[in-house]
Amino acid sequence: MKKTLQNPLALIGFIIIASILMMAIMAPIIAPYDPNAIDVKAILLAPTTNHLMGTDGLGRDVLSRMLFGARISLLVGFVAVGIATAIGIFLGAISGFYRGWVDTLIMRTVDVMLSIPTFFLILAVIAFLTPSIWNIMIVIGLTSWMGVTRLVRAEFLSLRNREFVLAAQTLGAKDVRLIFRHLLPNSLTPIIVSSILGIASAVLIESGLSFLGLGVQAPQASWGNILTDGKEYIQFAWWLSLFPGLAILLTVLGYNLLGDGLRDAYNPRSSQH
Amino acid sequence: MLKYLLKRFFWMIPLLIGISLISFMIMHLAPGDITSSEASFNPKASEESRQKLRALYNLDKPVIVQYGLWMKRMVTLDFGTSFASHQRPVFWQTKDKDGNVTLGMIQEALPITLLINVMSLALIIVISLPLGVLSALKQNQLPDRIITIFVFLGFAIPGFWLALILMYWTGVQHSWLPISGLQSIGHEHLQWLGQTLDTLKHLILPVFISGITGLAGISLFVRNGMLEVLHQDYITTARSKGLSENRVIYGHALRNALLPLITIFGLSIPGLIGGSVIAESIFAIPGMGKLFYDAVLMRDFPVIMGILTIGALLTLIGNLLADVAYAWADPRVRRGVMQ
Repeated sequence: MKKTLQNPLALIGFIIIASILMMAIMAPIIAPYDPNAIDVKAILLAPTTNHLMGTDGLGRDVLSRMLFGARISLLVGFVAVGIATAIGIFLGAISGFYRGWVDTLIMRTVDVMLSIPTFFLILAVIAFLTPSIWNIMIVIGLTSWMGVTRLVRAEFLSLRNREFVLAAQTLGAKDVRLIFRHLLPNSLTPIIVSSILGIASAVLIESGLSFLGLGVQAPQASWGNILTDGKEYIQFAWWLSLFPGLAILLTVLGYNLLGDGLRDAYNPRSSQH
Repeated sequence: MLKYLLKRFFWMIPLLIGISLISFMIMHLAPGDITSSEASFNPKASEESRQKLRALYNLDKPVIVQYGLWMKRMVTLDFGTSFASHQRPVFWQTKDKDGNVTLGMIQEALPITLLINVMSLALIIVISLPLGVLSALKQNQLPDRIITIFVFLGFAIPGFWLALILMYWTGVQHSWLPISGLQSIGHEHLQWLGQTLDTLKHLILPVFISGITGLAGISLFVRNGMLEVLHQDYITTARSKGLSENRVIYGHALRNALLPLITIFGLSIPGLIGGSVIAESIFAIPGMGKLFYDAVLMRDFPVIMGILTIGALLTLIGNLLADVAYAWADPRVRRGVMQ
């Protein structure tokens, strides 16, 4: 971690993510207004000292909604990637450890999942369920485990016949112990890198879905659905479009910088580039 | 070569079976069956349309029969008729007894989406190749730094937000470009050249928005590929036998760096097709993405299942084409030395 943060870009990424995380955690304390409080006397006000990011079409304070929206973005990113990573580690470990027909079956399933456009798959599932924050997280998680699976499998295949693994096996270590004590810890860095990059794309997908009205539902605030308002009022209220867009951009940028920095720090070959 | 192609072609069959299984599972996701109240809080889902849905997917039959019938629909690309838009056929055109032809919804929308995606790919190639090469040749110098910043921003910027900004800036503020649909008012009175130009003008923003992530990704890919190739022994050999720097870079390095790009293009197809939902619904382009979005909003299940299947088929065809192109471009694969 220390090595990672010596990379200036990774440090910038870390600072961005840490500050957004702090703001999200402290949202109820630092938000100047109730994010859902409608004020008909304050509709579409431009940013002033009273409303630092202005107000929306229902007179709600945009800054407060942005702060609570940060919670949604972070939550969706963490939970969706958590689901994807758990599935990926499980399937990838079985695949790479046992090989044989299980491996073939899992890898062919990965191929099939990769040949359906992800965004179509997500939208189709949402059409059959109801859009809600929990469904979104589960659906994004269930449609983005393929990369981690391939990654874990590749790591396991290359580690499986190393001497320290064979030594442990000869000493009588059970499969579960081999997987969790010996193979998994040695594959951790690439898994973490791909999870961090995965969070970035989950944040983008969630905001896109919410923007289309198929993600987080009003009145709950998310950066994506504030932008939906922004589109509606684009001619008179630039602040409704500017701030949530910048927030998404910064968050995704932060995760990408951090992920790339981490990869470079642990993979000397990629850092020459 | 032929053997390789045949093998590659037949490999699509298990993938198709897998896709049919996954789409079948999605249809049965909703609690109860897809006609139950949870799935149809849409007022249009009357008792009548529920009956139709039951009939369409044979929900009263045993699961295995349902799956067989679904396979048949997939293979014949016959997805029934839409619930929402006056019984229009989802894929194939139909002819009524008076001989009036009704075009299938996907049949009508697909060419538009394909056109946008092909243009996006062309745009990506035209812009990313020079940027990536420049970046690699000027590694860690100013141009490389600027391009790297562009790449990071390209990865991070939400496409729909960029679309909003561009719409506002070029459409609302300056009226340089049309921001919705494919045709201006009065389009039908123009000559064919005027009509083509008019449509092209409407396509500029959607094509750019569809391509933005790809622009960043491919630039980075070309840069890293070039850097890797430039360190290879055969480049040193080429230089030491006295070839000009241009020949070394464009004749030897670039050709090898571009080879994996073919595969990357194949892999980027599902992303492009999926991304068309956002670009098309923002710019009101009547393509597959917009059709899909509208269908999801109205819970128009036959259209949803149809587009899901067509999207997967397009991806398979795209990957097949990419593999064929790779085999054609790489003599090692062509002669069966390496797979």
